Amino acid sequence: MADAALRPDLSLVLERITDGFFALDAQWRISYMNAQARKLLHARQDIVGEFWLDVFPKARGRLFEREYHRAMRDQRPVQFVEYSATAELWFEVKAYPSPDGLSVYFRDVSSRIEAQREVERTTRRQQALIDFGRAALAGASYDQTLLDGAELIRDMLEASVVDVYHFDRLTGTFTIARSLGWEMGAALDPGAPPLEHLSFVLRTGEPFVSSDLRIDPRARSLAVLEHAGVLSCVAMLIGTLHSPQGAIVCYHGHTRTFSVGDVRFVQSLAQSIAEFSSALESNRLMSEVLESMHDAFVAVDGDLRITYVNSRMANYWGMSVGEIIGTPLSTYTTTFESDEHVLGLYKEVLRERRAMTFENQNRGRWHETRLYPFGGGVAGYVRDITARKTEQQRVLELNAELERRVEERTTQLELANKELESFSYSVSHDLRAPLRAIDGFSQALLEDYGETLDRRARGYLDRVRQAAQRMADLIDALLRLSKVARVPMAHVAVDLSAIAAIVAADLNENDTARTVEVTIEPCLQTQGEPQLIQIVVANLLGNAWKFTRHTERPQVWVGKNSEGEFYVRDNGAGFDMSYASKLFGAFARLHSADEYEGTGIGLATVARIVHRHGGSIRAEGAVGQGAAFYFTL
Amino acid sequence: MSKPYILLIEDNADDIDLTRRAFEKNHIANDVVVVRDGAQACEFLFDEQRSIANGYPALILLDLNLPKVSGLEVLQRIRATEATRLLPTVILTSSKQDEDLIEGYRLGVNSYVRKPVDFNEFVEAVRQVGLYWLVLNEPPPSAGGGGM
Repeated sequence: MADAALRPDLSLVLERITDGFFALDAQWRISYMNAQARKLLHARQDIVGEFWLDVFPKARGRLFEREYHRAMRDQRPVQFVEYSATAELWFEVKAYPSPDGLSVYFRDVSSRIEAQREVERTTRRQQALIDFGRAALAGASYDQTLLDGAELIRDMLEASVVDVYHFDRLTGTFTIARSLGWEMGAALDPGAPPLEHLSFVLRTGEPFVSSDLRIDPRARSLAVLEHAGVLSCVAMLIGTLHSPQGAIVCYHGHTRTFSVGDVRFVQSLAQSIAEFSSALESNRLMSEVLESMHDAFVAVDGDLRITYVNSRMANYWGMSVGEIIGTPLSTYTTTFESDEHVLGLYKEVLRERRAMTFENQNRGRWHETRLYPFGGGVAGYVRDITARKTEQQRVLELNAELERRVEERTTQLELANKELESFSYSVSHDLRAPLRAIDGFSQALLEDYGETLDRRARGYLDRVRQAAQRMADLIDALLRLSKVARVPMAHVAVDLSAIAAIVAADLNENDTARTVEVTIEPCLQTQGEPQLIQIVVANLLGNAWKFTRHTERPQVWVGKNSEGEFYVRDNGAGFDMSYASKLFGAFARLHSADEYEGTGIGLATVARIVHRHGGSIRAEGAVGQGAAFYFTL
Repeated sequence: MSKPYILLIEDNADDIDLTRRAFEKNHIANDVVVVRDGAQACEFLFDEQRSIANGYPALILLDLNLPKVSGLEVLQRIRATEATRLLPTVILTSSKQDEDLIEGYRLGVNSYVRKPVDFNEFVEAVRQVGLYWLVLNEPPPSAGGGGM
């Protein structure tokens, strides 16, 4: 092959092929090199006869040297791909040996290799991103995640420096959260980082990519970073324009053309960090809410495995949160709830997708549990309602006790009432019979023996009869009084004005000899038993009538004062206030029967009715200046 | 057939005398048969032999508070017995208790009169009762006739 160079036709062919070609003799001297090879290897014209490694020293120790020697040794062709530092290109090389020397064909495959490497790089980065996301989700802390992210960017983009910034929404400023690699150059003041790239990403949400900071018009102040050994950078917003969380920036110590893959990688990483941060924030919020609750909380998945418990629930079960997560709910419901029923209710909520509330007692405490369908599982809130239950129980017992007492009292009262009834019955019946006899036989005496008696004797008999009749009146009055206590109470609206008007009309009709001027305030409304209230009004108005008998211009007023008391007032005889307390007792009278007739039972009856309504009554008066009775119902 | 008579069911001797006196003063000439307690009243009223012989009373004056069998019980039996259920029966008593009034009317009494203490009023009451039930009122055809 060495002398092939001498053959003009062959040389012509070799000069035309697009591959590079050269030939070495048995002593590794260059015997021929075509124009394409010279061009690719930047070789001089006059290299024929020189030792090949002298011409291309960078090939020493590389695949070129090793493979050529192997080919000559084995006398078998070799083929390989290797990066040529001389040409700064990737070559695919085929070398054919002969005992006289080596023929080498090579061609530039740099673009193919680069494409392949880009695919590999992208794949590697994708995998790294996936691993990063997994690690974050597996519960890494936020700080650890930022550090991991920064390291990942440094490794994948061969960056010199990586900064992760936190964005404070309140102040609108970035502060360094994580920083890697500044020790390699003059440190950048972390308190006052140049902000042009950061404000760019904050403003646009787009990545800031600069292959040469020294000449980038968007970020003139970043030129100073040259002193820190930084010449190019990529900056990316973490979060969204609406909700920025921070920024990540990688710096390189040399000018660098960033590929679409490079930028996309940083973008993806920033997104991962943002997602992780949001998830972390909502987790933290939820956790805080669930921990701050007084309720115990448990969440289970569709297989009734526990996915979350708050510490209150864990305490209740006597285990740590970590021990509980992932275990089946049945462990606790059978051990602690002592009730398979509870587990059944969880299953029911799961099946029906419908919330429910139940109460149960366990280990001496009462709990109220509310179950909600939640995600694919069930969320349960358990509240200790022992205090409420105890209180309820106490109230129930108290009520029962009260009811028992009331019943006892009622029985006693009923008994007393019965006795009173039979008493009044015998009073009404048995006391009247002798009176009737006294009256009747006195009359019989008068009728049958009248002429044998003198005037005085007849007068005595008259007085016997009057006394008997008066006693009969008293008995009737007493009966009315006792009846007041036994009338069943109704509570209905009562028009006091209307009742007063009817009573006054009756009184006027029965006492035609004189006229009493009655003034009744209209619309006096109250609540109570109409029959009894009628008795009150009749008694009070009747008294007013009676005690104005000797008044020149008798007047009676019925109304309601500013304190809400009803009143019946007259301008009659009045009374001495020092006897006011005696007014309402049975048989209490402040006037002689000759002056004003009466049983002394009327006001006692009134007072009893007022008291039965839960009201009160009082009297005001002065001798000769009228009386007033105030009452509430 | 004997003359229509009045059956007075009354335990109080004074009241019996006063009632008789009131009848006399009002010139009510009918016989007054007196029984002194509820048991006697029942014996009298529900003895068919005697009733066939003497007939049923034209008017029963019934006191309530009676020994042995109460007046209301007697009334109840009068109304429950076919032979006596239509007999004009007037409660003449001292009681004005609501319970007695209600129970008396519920058991089908024809009238309820309370004895006044004032003898003059009592005479007047007896006069009106006698006048009304023995003169003015038309008795049921099967009652009071006796011997049927």
